[in-house]
Amino acid sequence: MSVRVPQGEQGSATPRRLPTGGRLGPTAAKLSERYAIVALWGVMIAVYSVLEPSTFDTSGTFQTIFGSQAALVFLSMAFLTTVIVGEFVDLSVASVLGLCATIVPVLAVLDHVNVALASVIAVAVGVFAGAVNGFLVVYVGVNTIVVTLGMSTLLSGIALAIAHLSAVSGLSASFGQLALANVGGLPISFFYGLALALAFAYLLAFTPLGRHMQFVGANREVSRLAGVRVDLIRFGAFVAAGALCGIGGVVVSAGLGGFDPSTSITYLLPTVSAVFLGTAVVRPGRFNPVGTLIALYFLATGILGLEELGFAGWISDVFYGAALVVAVTLTTLLRKRAAP
Amino acid sequence: MIVEPGEIHGLVGENGSGKSTLVKILSGYHTPDNGGSLAIDGEPIALPVRPGTMRRLGLSVVHQDLGLIDSFSVLENLRIGLFGVRRFSRAIPWSRERELARSALAALGADIDPDARVAELSIAQRAEVAIARALQYHEPGRGFVMFDESTRALPLKARRHFHSLVRDFVALGGSVLLVSHQLEEVLEHTDRLTVLRDGRVVGSGLRTDELSEHELIRLMLGRELKRSSQRPEATKRGESPAAEIQGLSGDLVKDVSVSVAVGEIVGVTGLLGSGFEELPYLIAGAHRAAGGVARVGEQEFNLRESSLRALLAAGVALVPERRERDGLAFSESVLDNLTLPRLRGRGGIGPLKRSWERDEAGRVVRELDIRPPNVHMPVKALSGGNQQKVLLGKWLYGRPKLLLLHEPTQGVDVGARAELERAIRGAAANGSGVILAGMDASELAALCDRVLVLREGRIASELRGALAPERIIDAVYLEGREGVIP
Repeated sequence: MSVRVPQGEQGSATPRRLPTGGRLGPTAAKLSERYAIVALWGVMIAVYSVLEPSTFDTSGTFQTIFGSQAALVFLSMAFLTTVIVGEFVDLSVASVLGLCATIVPVLAVLDHVNVALASVIAVAVGVFAGAVNGFLVVYVGVNTIVVTLGMSTLLSGIALAIAHLSAVSGLSASFGQLALANVGGLPISFFYGLALALAFAYLLAFTPLGRHMQFVGANREVSRLAGVRVDLIRFGAFVAAGALCGIGGVVVSAGLGGFDPSTSITYLLPTVSAVFLGTAVVRPGRFNPVGTLIALYFLATGILGLEELGFAGWISDVFYGAALVVAVTLTTLLRKRAAP
Repeated sequence: MIVEPGEIHGLVGENGSGKSTLVKILSGYHTPDNGGSLAIDGEPIALPVRPGTMRRLGLSVVHQDLGLIDSFSVLENLRIGLFGVRRFSRAIPWSRERELARSALAALGADIDPDARVAELSIAQRAEVAIARALQYHEPGRGFVMFDESTRALPLKARRHFHSLVRDFVALGGSVLLVSHQLEEVLEHTDRLTVLRDGRVVGSGLRTDELSEHELIRLMLGRELKRSSQRPEATKRGESPAAEIQGLSGDLVKDVSVSVAVGEIVGVTGLLGSGFEELPYLIAGAHRAAGGVARVGEQEFNLRESSLRALLAAGVALVPERRERDGLAFSESVLDNLTLPRLRGRGGIGPLKRSWERDEAGRVVRELDIRPPNVHMPVKALSGGNQQKVLLGKWLYGRPKLLLLHEPTQGVDVGARAELERAIRGAAANGSGVILAGMDASELAALCDRVLVLREGRIASELRGALAPERIIDAVYLEGREGVIP
């Protein structure tokens, strides 16, 4: 038998990408890869402005896009905390937020509890739900998807029960200022989300805790042998996710003046889509908060534009669903590229 | 490159020289660039190679570390990918499969129950299963089998058995490509050799009996390698102990006591299963010990209760064997991996914090000659030898009081190995006590001041003075040599 491979050809089947090379070329390529979504966002806005100059190209549209996503920002940051430490995937975030957002009006309006106390109770419930998730997943070792899927349905059911199967409203307008106070033309809840994403990005980039979280996500045993408290970090991530859902729930109920518990599950898919699409921005191939935030507003713009073009109702399902599939495919491809 | 019938052909080269890539092309895993051709038994084969073609022509591979799945049965491991089906139910005809598996095993003279789980087999039996799998569809006198680092995990006895099976196969006229890092193995068991360097053939069809290890290394590296076989005398060893371990017991280890002086390198070896491989993990607190006390510096730890974190804080560093699973986070950058153990309490804003990290990582990269010297690359983009340097550098930089190493140069080419050995000596010279657990006798001989040989969990002998690899091998494999050998 003979194996003939000409000289110089053997190694080229898997070309190794060297870090050296032209200065400008790779940098420009990297930048365009990192911010492709931002460019696409710009193109999308331009196209919509041309197609629908009367409705799309107004400041009202931008206020809608940036002012209406508070729930999704809190949810996607909550989702991100557990994804970064390697938990795949916390399906309960939307229901936890829904339950917390239901508790506030139920206590404050139906049971006449002080609204501040009601908010504190709601956040505490979020933390508790996160702790239950964390305990079962981390210390008992139950599969994350199973636990959080069960919790998701369970908590949705509880929310419906305490709200007597209907929407609860009637929160005071002064409480609404918590979410709606006008700051530079946008509701303050937008800035909560922005501050949250930036704080999270800071935590990941500049603090030992953030680095430890990423290592726990990358390889638990390596982290443990380096003295990182792996289980504590994983548990903490679930608790933090619960707390973020709780705070998000309070903000959402304040913004809406109440909450309809039957809608909470519709928040899940946009959240997951934004988090995965976020891996295509800023730090390609990695889950990151700023990328997630950009992806979130990118998706919101796309949907609003399509709705104004006359695609009503079903379009958000199609758009978010397609975005999720595209985003996950993109993440997979980017990860492959990162490994020569 | 031509492999003759009835020949065992060796393929050697440094890490990253293209050995694995070549094997992967030949087994159809990679699609090669245009311009290459492949023919088996005179028949040209279209590339990429397809599984059906491989079967028809008797082309097969035994992968690194044998490639068996522990939780499945021998039968399933043997026949996976080849299962026949019943005509109507499309179910697997187990009785026929069992017969085929049995005859494949019988052809090797292996007495293994096809229904046993692979996890229950001895290491030698696993090797037989892997070889039986590779050979089952070969007609006598034809075919081509590649062994890609298959013997790395095998103990000596199993390795001998493995080589005799391979001999039997080529005696019938088949041909074999043996890919290995172990130069002694290649020189002893192959007929001819091909040497790769940087993806090119630098020596083709060299007759093994005309080659010395020295010439082979020169071919692989393209330069002379200076490997001092003895530690430099200049290393001054302190009298004070860096660490003392007393009465250590675990799953395999029973009541072992070791004391390591500052600047001393103590080797721990034995057969697999003798407990030497468990020792570093027990001392580091990575596995819970059944009993034992460790004294590190001023502090004393009861190893049954002490946490890894406490031992780490006292200056115990562990370099585990399995780099990908336990050693490094492959998706993270070299810099992040290097500085991970020293992050705690160093939070800060922006450039200030980054600067110590860059200094530290830059120094490790320079000192260990990590290539390419780009600390922002993910670890998985580096070659095995450079990954191992990152792993060692990660722990060396913290100046541990006690450095625990488990097979620190496994799967690493000779060039990187020399760097790693120099770094380990340097750590000892800088005041660490080192415990090196491993099976590579020449490495132990080159690095250690003394070597402890474990048998059935206890220290069977202690070798001091001039350590030749042969002495260590004798002490490990020959029974009945107890006590201190002068």
